Amino acid sequence: MLKLRVSDLRNCRPRLQISRVLTVCCTLAGLAILGCSTDPQAAIDNYPNKTITIVCPWSAGGGTDQCSRFWADQLHQRLETPVVVMNREGGSGAIGHSAVARARPDGYTLGAITVELSMMKQMGISDLTFRDYDPLLQYNADSAALVVRSDAPWKTAEEFLEEVRTGDTPLKMSGTASGGIWDLARVGMLHAAGIDPDRVTWVPSKGSAPARTQLLGGHIDAVVVSVPEAKPQIDAGELRLLAVMDDERHVDFPEVPTLKELGIDWSAVGWRGLALPKETPPEISAKLLAQAEEIAASEEFLEFMKLNGFAVKVRGPEEFKEFLTEQEALWTPVIEMAGYHK
Amino acid sequence: MSELLQLSVLLPWILAMLLGIFVGATPGLTATMAVALIVPISYHMSATAGLAMIIGVSFTAIFAGDIPATWLRIPGTPASAAATLDGFQLARKRRGNFALMIDLLCSSIGGIIGVATLIVIAPQLAKFALKFGDYEYFWLGVFGLSMSAMVTMGQTSKGLMAAVIGVLISTVGQDVVSNAHRYTFDNIDALAGLHFIPVMIGLFGVAEVLRNVQGEQTLGSSSGTGERTSFLSTIPEIWKRKWLVVKSALLGTIIGALPGAGADVAAWGAYGLAKTTSKDSEKFGTGAVDGVVAPTSANNAAVAGAWIPALVFGVPGDAVTAIVLGVLMVHGIRPGPMLFEEGGAQIQSIFSVALITQVLLIPCGWLGIRAFGLIQMLPRRVVLAAVLVFSTVGAYAINNSMFDVGVMVAFGIVGFFLEACLVPVVPLILGLILGPLVEEKLRAGLIASSGDFTPFLTRPICVCLIALLVLAFAGKPALRLLQRRKSES
Repeated sequence: MLKLRVSDLRNCRPRLQISRVLTVCCTLAGLAILGCSTDPQAAIDNYPNKTITIVCPWSAGGGTDQCSRFWADQLHQRLETPVVVMNREGGSGAIGHSAVARARPDGYTLGAITVELSMMKQMGISDLTFRDYDPLLQYNADSAALVVRSDAPWKTAEEFLEEVRTGDTPLKMSGTASGGIWDLARVGMLHAAGIDPDRVTWVPSKGSAPARTQLLGGHIDAVVVSVPEAKPQIDAGELRLLAVMDDERHVDFPEVPTLKELGIDWSAVGWRGLALPKETPPEISAKLLAQAEEIAASEEFLEFMKLNGFAVKVRGPEEFKEFLTEQEALWTPVIEMAGYHK
Repeated sequence: MSELLQLSVLLPWILAMLLGIFVGATPGLTATMAVALIVPISYHMSATAGLAMIIGVSFTAIFAGDIPATWLRIPGTPASAAATLDGFQLARKRRGNFALMIDLLCSSIGGIIGVATLIVIAPQLAKFALKFGDYEYFWLGVFGLSMSAMVTMGQTSKGLMAAVIGVLISTVGQDVVSNAHRYTFDNIDALAGLHFIPVMIGLFGVAEVLRNVQGEQTLGSSSGTGERTSFLSTIPEIWKRKWLVVKSALLGTIIGALPGAGADVAAWGAYGLAKTTSKDSEKFGTGAVDGVVAPTSANNAAVAGAWIPALVFGVPGDAVTAIVLGVLMVHGIRPGPMLFEEGGAQIQSIFSVALITQVLLIPCGWLGIRAFGLIQMLPRRVVLAAVLVFSTVGAYAINNSMFDVGVMVAFGIVGFFLEACLVPVVPLILGLILGPLVEEKLRAGLIASSGDFTPFLTRPICVCLIALLVLAFAGKPALRLLQRRKSES
């Protein structure tokens, strides 16, 4: 039986060769046809002619996802091509960010990039930095906020920090996982105020919402979260905003001072932006940028951001790159100080 | 109120509910995803129509997850994993339609009880939920894990082994507390851990296909047409179990109101409660109607329960309400205690929508059951192939990643061999869902108490939970012992 099969194969060989030649010819012909349509210039001229994907590194329903879906909707209306949001969550944002960096730079993959990109390399989570992208546009920057319960004994940030400095037992704070953005914002704040970061116990949580629940339930003493995250409870009078970590006061809370006004030289913002994979043809990124800038200046955009409580901060590609360089310089020493450096 | 019955509200509402049936019945597509899809559409509508769509889709998806769980033993959403036990066994006895009709009615009743609770005691319940800190959540997780021993009574050692495997699998990925990478082998996709939906699809769906290919068993039920179940015939069955429905729904509402525990934990909790309090607990897992009624009453109630902290404190109880909070704000509704005092009309319309949804669920769900029942008329090999296709699509869709498809295939094989060794896979799922909760809360609790274990044992709610835990295991034997003493003396 086996022998027969071997001889069969031998008999087949000439035919196999013929078919192989045929395959090669067909492939070459196919490539030639494809070649016409993948001519780089034609691809640029025809752009966009298929679905554009915005990769969101955070889960469906979160703030970055909401923004990404808004951008998808707006780009779809203006470019007249389908634009979809693809959620690739996990690994503190590393998975989604790396999916964009690895994507083909043809303008059909856009990335929603967030503040975590400025930290993930130093934290040893990923090798990515902003240099692995062509940053397109920053559209948001939410200041970090120091928040306590409204029945807490501390009425001002100074009182709170004094308690941290001199209190007998360390206060408990939360907002993110250990080494998350708000944990690092806390470390930076304490360092700038000349307080040993270990004077506070950081209780890790899965994010801002569970941390605020813990705060409301009296299980921890304070949280560091972004201003819009805490706004509903601040408005309802359950939480008290002690200070914002930004250069200017927050528009929604003009009566609350910044840390800088209190003599603590520290600001921390959670930013969001759009980026393209590195080496996207400049013509294509110019096309996208023109649309993105128009959207960022539109009534709809401002209204969307206002309704959701996101602070608007628009920076074009060059300014955005400068900002990203500053961000890296800002966070690296904090990460080392907090002991998360890898 | 009158606005609710206008065509401009009613039509998108019902369409959304039909979408919910489809999404819920498709493994891998979750209620959260359905809501995320609806949200951009709802921006262009009135607040009432948008909310009606979202509420409609979330409740129907949770029910519809039970349809494939009953027919094919593949839970459509995580909240339906408990339906693969008794619902599936009933379907194998050619009573699948009967099981699903009961399931549908109990979903609706459970939902009504949940919404009613939401209306009546929302502020009080939400305040109670806030008392749960890391220590209390730890015990809640342990309580959930102990259910794995309950659902596998009789083969407890194997059940516990499966639970431990589940907990071990849940450690893969980036650790929330220390950021360490565990068992990722430098694979960036593994950083997020092994997502439990692909694992679940593999363990139930793919393993079931493998078993059928092996040819030892027939598919779930060979025909859905052989049985005729009228709607009315299920009502006396449910009436017999009215207290079980109420009990499960109330438990579901409470669990749903706890941030971090949702419909999936609620379903298991109710199943465990029903089993321990039942007179014939040994029938559970072999097609007991009680085993269908309890989890399905609880999971829909939990969806309502999750709204309690969302509306009262602006803190979402689960992923769906997290999205809803964003939508509420877009429509200018600010969640918080002020909402109950100032926004009376808005709250009224949310409550009315939630109640009417429970009623609309019955015709929509009935359509879903009928449509899915048609599948049972197809030849087995076609259904199996379709199950594989749907499983693959589902595993991919959850995170748009081929890595998850690999996970699904691997766990299909694991599930096949585990069942061949008679190791139950349900505790594995429990371990996978609750392992991270228990670990995170234990470690966060220890960080907060600087390494001191006493708060875990001395806080009032902790003591209650421990007492419940002891009672659940020791209560029945102790009672039996007492009765024996009495009869002897």
